Amino acid sequence: MRLSSLTIPLLAVTLAGSLLAGCATRPDPSDPDEVAEFRQTNDPAEPFNRAMYDVHQGIDRVVLRPVAVAYRDVVPQPVRTGVRNLLGNLRTPVILANDMLQGEPRRAGDTLGRFIINSTLGIAGIFDVAASHFGVRGHAEDYGQTLAVWGMGEGPYLFIPVLGPSNPRDLAGFGMGIAGDPLTWVGQGVAVDVLTGTRAGVTVVDTRESLINTLDDVERTSLDPYATLRSAYRQRRNAEIRNSNDIIAPPAAGGTGYSVGTGVEP
Amino acid sequence: MTSLVRRSLLGSLAVLAIAGPASAQDTNRATAFIQATGQELVAAVNDTHSDLATRRQKVAAVLRRAVDIEGVGRFILGRWWRQASAQEQQEYLKLFEETLIRNLSARFGEYQGVRFSLGRSQQRTEDDVLVNTIIERPNSAPFALDWRVAEVGGQPRVVDVIAEGTSLRLTQRSEYSSVIQRNNGSIAALLQAMRGQIAQLATQERQAR
Repeated sequence: MRLSSLTIPLLAVTLAGSLLAGCATRPDPSDPDEVAEFRQTNDPAEPFNRAMYDVHQGIDRVVLRPVAVAYRDVVPQPVRTGVRNLLGNLRTPVILANDMLQGEPRRAGDTLGRFIINSTLGIAGIFDVAASHFGVRGHAEDYGQTLAVWGMGEGPYLFIPVLGPSNPRDLAGFGMGIAGDPLTWVGQGVAVDVLTGTRAGVTVVDTRESLINTLDDVERTSLDPYATLRSAYRQRRNAEIRNSNDIIAPPAAGGTGYSVGTGVEP
Repeated sequence: MTSLVRRSLLGSLAVLAIAGPASAQDTNRATAFIQATGQELVAAVNDTHSDLATRRQKVAAVLRRAVDIEGVGRFILGRWWRQASAQEQQEYLKLFEETLIRNLSARFGEYQGVRFSLGRSQQRTEDDVLVNTIIERPNSAPFALDWRVAEVGGQPRVVDVIAEGTSLRLTQRSEYSSVIQRNNGSIAALLQAMRGQIAQLATQERQAR
């Protein structure tokens, strides 16, 4: 993906700049309300994160959003749905592993059944036959959620350019998701590299396309989009960990960042 | 199948209302209130005989009746409410009402062809009831919208809307507090930003017509 060659120097520059700028202003210890809010916001590295957010917005304006808008304009809806289903199906091994790691045999059964049906009748996962004909809807699950279920705290809030809102726990989960994905280990060579690269690129475009309206709304209506996304991400993530919004969770949702949705009303 | 589930759910709710204690009655009342309000909103949004501006006005009228605007506004300003002067509080509530109504009616006004149904669970918390609904729009995936309903002055009123696990009032409290903090604790700065936003929303509404 061409993005990475652009992000790394930018990242390095801002990283150096914001580390010099230091951490967020500590709250006044004599004001309990202020201390409580500081704890609740959970963003001790706020100046750094805001710098990262600005970097992301720069990339988004120039590359991500225009590409997503073009994708929406050029590719017809049924094809885009097929692409989303395909990506969701490719993610099934990770979802299945996490269903099992969280001790959820019924959900694991759903995931396994969906994978078998969609990979065959759904032609490699292009059609979500399991949901449309068998009534088994997909759900998202990832290592970040498993770590949370196992009792690990989220850690301080982080904003990562291109990836989006995150935290150490979800970021670790994201890495485990890549490491634990059979497709990462399927083989070597140019063809495999091209395939995994294409998959990553298409995932970014598909995710950004699904968020065009939501993020436009945030930009339009929020007085501080950074703060809105931070709050929305953390709330949404907690709801996902509790599995409380399953009936509507997108089957293509990933482990962290924008791919889990911003949680803002669509 | 879903309609069957819904019917049995409504059935069990009705049974609860007859046999259950006072809390079930509260739940029932809140659910009936959301069902009525939701139907009014859907009717206003899907009214194909009127133009966008009229639809927005109708939606705004329903919201003004259904939402505890003052309570929500105070919740969102949170710890800064006490630090604001009486004049700032008054001005804030005025601006907040306008922002909320304009934002929500602009959003709902675009939901042409929307359908709305009661979801699977209605749960009671200590001081309010959470009513779960499913919103369906043509060409997009259905999503869950929870309405937090509290008794305000003896009447059920909406105090929060939760979309896919994200509470509108918590998100907005975080947003407003961040604006105040980044302006060294100045509530006047927030009011200034809100005025700017209202002017912007008004321009967009005129353009949309």
